[in-house]
Amino acid sequence: MIRRAVGIAMAGERKPLIRKRDSNSTVAIRVRNVSKSFPGVQALRGINFELLSGEVHGLVGANGAGKSTFIRMLSGASIPDAGEIEVQGSPLLFDDPRLKRGAGIAAIYQELTIIPEMSVLSNAFLGKVPSRFFLTDRRRMERRFAELSSWMGLDVSPHVSAGTLSVANQQMIEILRAVQTDQNVLIMDEPTAPLGPHERARLYELIGRLKESGVAIIFISHDLDEVLKLSDRVSVMREGLLVATRAARQWTKDSLVKAMLGDIQILRSEKRTGPPKRELLAATDVALPGRLFGLSFAVNQGEIFGIAGLVGAGRTELLRCIAGAEPAATGSMRIDGVDCIWPRTIRESIRRGIVLAPEDRKRQGLVLSRSSLSNLMLGDLDAVSRGAVIDRKEARSRGEVLARQLGFNPARLDTDALNLSGGNQQKLVLGKWLNRRPRLLLLDEPTLGIDLGAKQEIFQAIRRLSGEGMAVILVSSDLEEVVEHSDRVLVMARGCQIGLLDGHDATVEHILNLIFAVEGRAGNAGVAR
Amino acid sequence: MSDVDALPSAQMSQPGAWRAQLPTLIRVYGILLTLFLLLAVVTIGNPAFISQQNVFNMASQWAPAGIMAVGMTFVILTGGFDLSVASAYSLCAVVAAYVGQGHAPWIAFLAAIAAGLVFGLANGLLVAVVRINPFITTVGSGFIINGVALVMTQNAAFLVDNESFGILGAGRWHGVPWSGMLLVTFLVVFGFVLARTIYGEAIYAVGGNYEASRLSGIRVRAVVASTYVLMGGCVGLAGSIAASQLSSAQANLDPGIIFDVLTIVVVGGTSLSGGSGAMWRTAVGLGIIATISNGFVLLDISPYYQSIIKGSIIVAALALDTGLTRLVRSK
Repeated sequence: MIRRAVGIAMAGERKPLIRKRDSNSTVAIRVRNVSKSFPGVQALRGINFELLSGEVHGLVGANGAGKSTFIRMLSGASIPDAGEIEVQGSPLLFDDPRLKRGAGIAAIYQELTIIPEMSVLSNAFLGKVPSRFFLTDRRRMERRFAELSSWMGLDVSPHVSAGTLSVANQQMIEILRAVQTDQNVLIMDEPTAPLGPHERARLYELIGRLKESGVAIIFISHDLDEVLKLSDRVSVMREGLLVATRAARQWTKDSLVKAMLGDIQILRSEKRTGPPKRELLAATDVALPGRLFGLSFAVNQGEIFGIAGLVGAGRTELLRCIAGAEPAATGSMRIDGVDCIWPRTIRESIRRGIVLAPEDRKRQGLVLSRSSLSNLMLGDLDAVSRGAVIDRKEARSRGEVLARQLGFNPARLDTDALNLSGGNQQKLVLGKWLNRRPRLLLLDEPTLGIDLGAKQEIFQAIRRLSGEGMAVILVSSDLEEVVEHSDRVLVMARGCQIGLLDGHDATVEHILNLIFAVEGRAGNAGVAR
Repeated sequence: MSDVDALPSAQMSQPGAWRAQLPTLIRVYGILLTLFLLLAVVTIGNPAFISQQNVFNMASQWAPAGIMAVGMTFVILTGGFDLSVASAYSLCAVVAAYVGQGHAPWIAFLAAIAAGLVFGLANGLLVAVVRINPFITTVGSGFIINGVALVMTQNAAFLVDNESFGILGAGRWHGVPWSGMLLVTFLVVFGFVLARTIYGEAIYAVGGNYEASRLSGIRVRAVVASTYVLMGGCVGLAGSIAASQLSSAQANLDPGIIFDVLTIVVVGGTSLSGGSGAMWRTAVGLGIIATISNGFVLLDISPYYQSIIKGSIIVAALALDTGLTRLVRSK
C-alpha cells in the first residue's frame, strides 16, 4: 500500500502499473499430490501442477473432470483432503479469504461477482478501498481507475452503476479489480463464453499484456482453438487426474480432444438431406416492443432451425415470445396450418407442444435444491401420476429411460441438481421437456459452458428426436454449432430478421458478413443483455 | 435434503465412505437425535412424562399450534411467511364462540374455518397476484384482523354455555382426545400431500426456483396463493379447538402463538428461504417444543429459567443446522 502511494506521488516518472512480486521464484504456484473427494465422488486424484510466472497456462477437460474443484482449491475457496499448494514458495493457508488475496491469486469465474447496484468505481475497488483517515480516498480511486482502464483499453465511466455495463465490460471490471490489487496469478474460468468475437479479441489482447507484466494466468475454456492460440502450455484433466501437461505447440486440437475424452469416439454429423417438408409452425410479424421488429418464418416438422446473431440481437427474446413467456409479444401463429392466437402464457404454449429450454440453466431451468429425478419429472407431473398422487415407481422408470437417452448416469438421479456439472444440468433441462414429447423444442444456448462429450450426447439426442418428427429451434453463440446442426438458419441483428439461409448457404462467413453489414462498424457488437 | 428419499445414496466404494457422509447424515437426521435426547432426559427425570395421560394431554394442548404449523410448513416451503396467524387465530376463535352462542357447535366451527379461509385467500391474493412482500402483507393483514376482532368483541370475552361445544377441544374418544387425533391426522395427511402428490412437488419446485417452475408450466401464482388458503383453514380449525377448549374466546387469545408456530417449523429444519423441508420435520419440531415446555413443568424447573433454556435450545439447533449445511456445501 505504502509502496504504491509513493509510486503515484513520484509524478512524471513512468511508474509500473502492476507491482511485480519481490520473490525471485519463477514458479508462481506449485501443487503437489493434491486430492479431494466429495460424498460419492473422488473429484481430484493426486494432482501435480506447476504454474510459471508470466505464463498463460491452458486448462482443459470434460465437464466433471475436476477443473472447477481444482481452481476452487487454488483460489482458496475449498480445502484439499491431502497434498499441498505452494504460492511463491510459501504454503497456501486456507483459513481466511483475505490471506488468500494476500497470496496474490484472483479468480474470475463465469458467474461474475459484480454488484450491479454499485458504481463501476466501487466495484473496481471492492474489498480493498484506498483510504485516508478512515475515509475512502475517492481522488486516488479515480486516478488509479483512469490509469488502469486506459492501460486495459477499457472505456467506461467510473460513475455509472456496474449493472448497466455489458457482460464483457463487467468482466473487464473484474479483471481490473484483480490487477489493481496486484494479483500475480489470475485464474480465468471460461472468460470468453459470454463474449462476442470483438470482445474476445479485446480480451486476448489484454491477456497478452498481463502476461508481459509478469502475471501468470490459468485459462480455462472449452474453445480449444482459443486455448491453443493463447496458451504457452496446456494441461488436460480427465476424471480427477491431470493426464498431461505439454507446450501448446506440441498439442493439436485432435490430440487435446483425445486426451480429454480418453477412448470416447467423436461422431461427425453430416448434413441431412431432404428433411420432411410438412410445416409445423409459421410465425408472422412477430414483434416485441423495443426488442423485436416484425420477424416472419416457418419451421417444418423434424427440422432443426438455427437462429444466428450476436448477443443482444434478440434471439432469446424471440424464443421467449414463441414460448409464451412475453405477454407483450404480438404476431400471428399458425400450427399445422391452423391459425391460432399468439400465446400469452407458458402453459398455453406447452399445451400446443412448444417448450423452452432457457439459456440460464441455474436460474430458469432447474430447481437446484431438488433431486435430478424431481427436475426431470417437473415438465410433466401428470404423466407419472395417478390422480393427484405421484407414482414413484413410474417416475423412477421414466427417469431412468430419459437418463439413458441423454447419457445421464441413472445412478445420479437422486443427486441434487445443485451438485451436478453444467453438462449434466443441461441434460436435466432437456430431459424435463423430452419427457413431454414436445412437437417444437426451443433451445437457448444449450451448450454454453459444456464440454465436448456432453455436447455430443445432447446433439445426438436432439437429432434422434428430430428424426422422429420433433422440430427444434436452436439458438447458440457458437456459430459453427448452429451451422453444423441446422437445416436452415435465420440470421438476426438488432431485433430484425436479416436473412434466412438454406443449409448449403449457411456458412459461418456468410452469416458473419450478413450480421456485420447491419451491426456496422465493429466496436459496439455485443450489446448488454 | 427435503425428504428421507432425497438422501444421497452411498455410491462410494472406498472405505471411510460413511465417515465422509457423516456431516450429511447429521444434517438430515440430527434433529431426530435432538428429539430423542430430550425425550430421554425428561423421561429419566420424571417417568410420568411418558404416561398415557400426559402424552394425551400434550397432544390436546399442542393441537392448535401444531395444526397451524402444518399450514405454515406449506407457506414457508414456497418461500413465504404468514405473520397474521396470531390475530386470525383469535378472530376465528371469536367467530366460533360468537356463532356457538346461538347455533350448533359444528356450525360454529365451520364458520370459524370459513373465516380462516377468507383471511388466507386475501393474504394469498395479495402475496401471489398483487405480489406484495409476504412479510409486509401479513403484518398488515394481522393488524386489520386484530382490529376487527377488537371491534367485534369490544375487548370482552365471549362465553359459550353449551357442553357439546367443548367436545372438539376437550372431548375424548376411548380416552384419546379428539383434538390430538385431528393433529396427527393433519400431520399425516398433509405430510403425504407434500411428499407424494403433484401439488406437493409443485410446492417444492416453486419454493426452490420460482422462475424455473413458471417456465416449466407450473401455475406458480395459484400454488403460492393456495398455501395461504390452506394456512387460513388450519388457523380456522386451530381457533375452533382453542375456543372449544376454553368455552370462550377473546380478541387477544394468545398473541405469542405465532412464535410457537414458526419455531416448530423452523426448528424441524425447514428452510426459511423455501424449497427445502418436510412435514416429518415439522412433526419433530413440534415434538421438541412440546417436550421442552412440558418437561420444564415435570422437572420442576423454575419458570424464570424456562425461557432461557428454551431459547438456547432453539438457537443451538439452528446454529448446528446452518453450521453443518455450510460444512457439507463447502467441501
